[in-house]
Amino acid sequence: MPDSMLFASLAIACAAALGELSWRFLGWPRPAAYAGVGLALGLAGADVAGTTPALRLALDGALALLLFESGARLNLRWLRRNPWLLATSLAEAAASATAVFLVAHAFGMATEVVAALAIIAMSVSPAVIQRVIGECRAAGQVAERLRTLSTLNTLYAVLAMQCLVAGLLLFDPQTWQATWPPLLFSFCASLLLGTTLGSALVAIARRMDLRSDSAVVLLLCFILCALLVARMLQLSTLLVPLIAGLWLRNRSDRPWIWPHQFGSAGAALTLVMFVATGASVSLQIGPAAIALAAAMLISRALAKSAAVAALARPSGIASNQGLALGATLLPMSATAWVLALDFSAAHPTAGLQLLPPVLAAIALIDVVAPIVMFHVLRRMGELGGEA
Amino acid sequence: MSIESFARSDAFTLGIELELQIVNRHDYDLAPGSADLLRLIGLRTLRADVKPEITSSMIELSTGICHDHAECLSQLIEVRDALVDCAARQNLRICGGGTHAFQDWSHRRIFDTPRFNQVSQLYGYLSKQFTVFGQHVHVGCSSPDDALWLLHALSRFMPLAIALSASSPFVQGADTGFHSARLNTVAAFPLSGRAPFVLTWSEFERYFDKMTRTGVVESMKDFYWDIRPKPEFGTIEVRVMDTPLSVSRAADIAAYLQCLARWLLLERPFQPDEDDYLVYSFNRFQACRFGLDGVHVDPQSAARVSIRERIAATLERLEPHARALGAEPGLAGILRVIRNEEPSDACWLREQQHAERFLPEVVRRQCLLFET
Repeated sequence: MPDSMLFASLAIACAAALGELSWRFLGWPRPAAYAGVGLALGLAGADVAGTTPALRLALDGALALLLFESGARLNLRWLRRNPWLLATSLAEAAASATAVFLVAHAFGMATEVVAALAIIAMSVSPAVIQRVIGECRAAGQVAERLRTLSTLNTLYAVLAMQCLVAGLLLFDPQTWQATWPPLLFSFCASLLLGTTLGSALVAIARRMDLRSDSAVVLLLCFILCALLVARMLQLSTLLVPLIAGLWLRNRSDRPWIWPHQFGSAGAALTLVMFVATGASVSLQIGPAAIALAAAMLISRALAKSAAVAALARPSGIASNQGLALGATLLPMSATAWVLALDFSAAHPTAGLQLLPPVLAAIALIDVVAPIVMFHVLRRMGELGGEA
Repeated sequence: MSIESFARSDAFTLGIELELQIVNRHDYDLAPGSADLLRLIGLRTLRADVKPEITSSMIELSTGICHDHAECLSQLIEVRDALVDCAARQNLRICGGGTHAFQDWSHRRIFDTPRFNQVSQLYGYLSKQFTVFGQHVHVGCSSPDDALWLLHALSRFMPLAIALSASSPFVQGADTGFHSARLNTVAAFPLSGRAPFVLTWSEFERYFDKMTRTGVVESMKDFYWDIRPKPEFGTIEVRVMDTPLSVSRAADIAAYLQCLARWLLLERPFQPDEDDYLVYSFNRFQACRFGLDGVHVDPQSAARVSIRERIAATLERLEPHARALGAEPGLAGILRVIRNEEPSDACWLREQQHAERFLPEVVRRQCLLFET
């Protein structure tokens, strides 16, 4: 145990240092280096399993913070004022799911695995998007819409995955009667816990300046407590923070501001998350999984880009902004991994088939996606002054 | 290069320019949205024009030539509604106010045009700090000599216009104690302040030629004076005002200036004098610092009264001119402010901050006020 702690500490220190160096000398966003270090560790045989309780807790904690932030940036009034944006979101999610479904099907995967892959492909990691946009202080229509689309497609993916997991169990004549009450409970309780957390945070925000240290600690503790309750009750650890953020943002029009990623503590947690996600990839992933992952990534990117570019002008952006937005909808990272782990926990046999292509896709895209995103945002003139 | 000839325009016609803030809907900081807004607004047919400004978080609207308060207000409302609608489609909001309460100037981006890049290169960080928002009012003059006479006659009323429009108490997240802190930013520019005291167009042409020979200026745009002649429009342009928080107040202030211009040019109640400028900076400072409660020193009699009282006194003299110009609703709005029936914009902003203690929420309320 002390050995593994020492090893983990050194790996994290190495990732932090490399992240800083690559940012300064290559101008690459830090998550690319974090994922790169993780990937190197994984290929060197680090054998990081997402099922390890301590690691999963750290992973869920980091993701909860980033998903909460994503939810809290999603302004539903915007979708009402600009329904074409909602149409863009639905179209890109549906197009990418369909494309990946067809590709995975052509590779001869089992139907439930094909469906799970299609759902996972819908989601563009809000963790990477939030982190890169925050890091380079990007602002503009591409960055704003990227954030919105990634939050929405993650929400669709989480809900669709719950339906898939439930659907597979419900269609089994031997388990359906015992299955539906807990599944219904899980869904409703996730919504309830998310809205309760959101309301608690509204109450804090009305009384304290969320930019102060003590308010940030309070916020962090509330989110982590809600996460622990969600795990205890076997609720979706992705849905609860997303709903909480959404609830906070959309209950009133009042602005709420807290330090990006909840300050240094949040930044450290997300660093661990990026490294761990990369390190989950191992050399045992075979060439078939890598080929499927590559085909999935290409079809996913093409489908998302085509849908976004087609609806760019009606939704109020120029064609070049539509192309740029499509090109940045790449990251998968931790959300894909957690979705795959949750599916595998419910369906262990299918999970064995699902995890290799998902991990291969993460390995192929997670170093590249932040760099592509950074350069596209720079080309569109959306980076902050010093980036 | 010599100055262009002074175009003909109908006396006392009006044009209003408002520089507006573009903010995001998340934390209400300034957002670089002018290019996106211009693209969307370009698809609509409006009587007013919308243009970019030096940094990408600013946008400027300008009315066409208006004859009275009602026409100004209807054009402003039309273009405001269009801008607000386009902004909503981009998840942005628009508001008035002379400064953004808490923006960090170093985060601003220069809007990419040759002119703005040239200004940015010349003035360095001042150009980003110039992310302040003013109201400019053009008043039509039938001859260039009238324009210069009016320019100097109006100068003693500039503190009144500053106090009426003051809406920039907060800068970089702090209360400055000023009602209009915006003008302190403008003062950093070498060619700001007042125009040279020349009362005929031929003298002004000689002054302009001398300045262009020095290579310091190329066109009238290089002068950031409080009031400057605009020969291509045949107007003088009053530039001291902050952008008010609402378009109705912007139209009221324009109507007030229109009446002042008519009174001055038709009645010629005094002759402008170089000595008028002895107290100009003092009066201007009082207006910026204390708003309507600042002291105003009359340059001829040296009598000291509050700016509020000085405005009340002018309103009495302007009554017949307001009737002739259809400016009565505008002057009624001014009267409500000086009688404290409506708060001045700077006071309103301070009241909001006092209640909320959260500047992003104050900016959100500014947006609501601007939109309605």
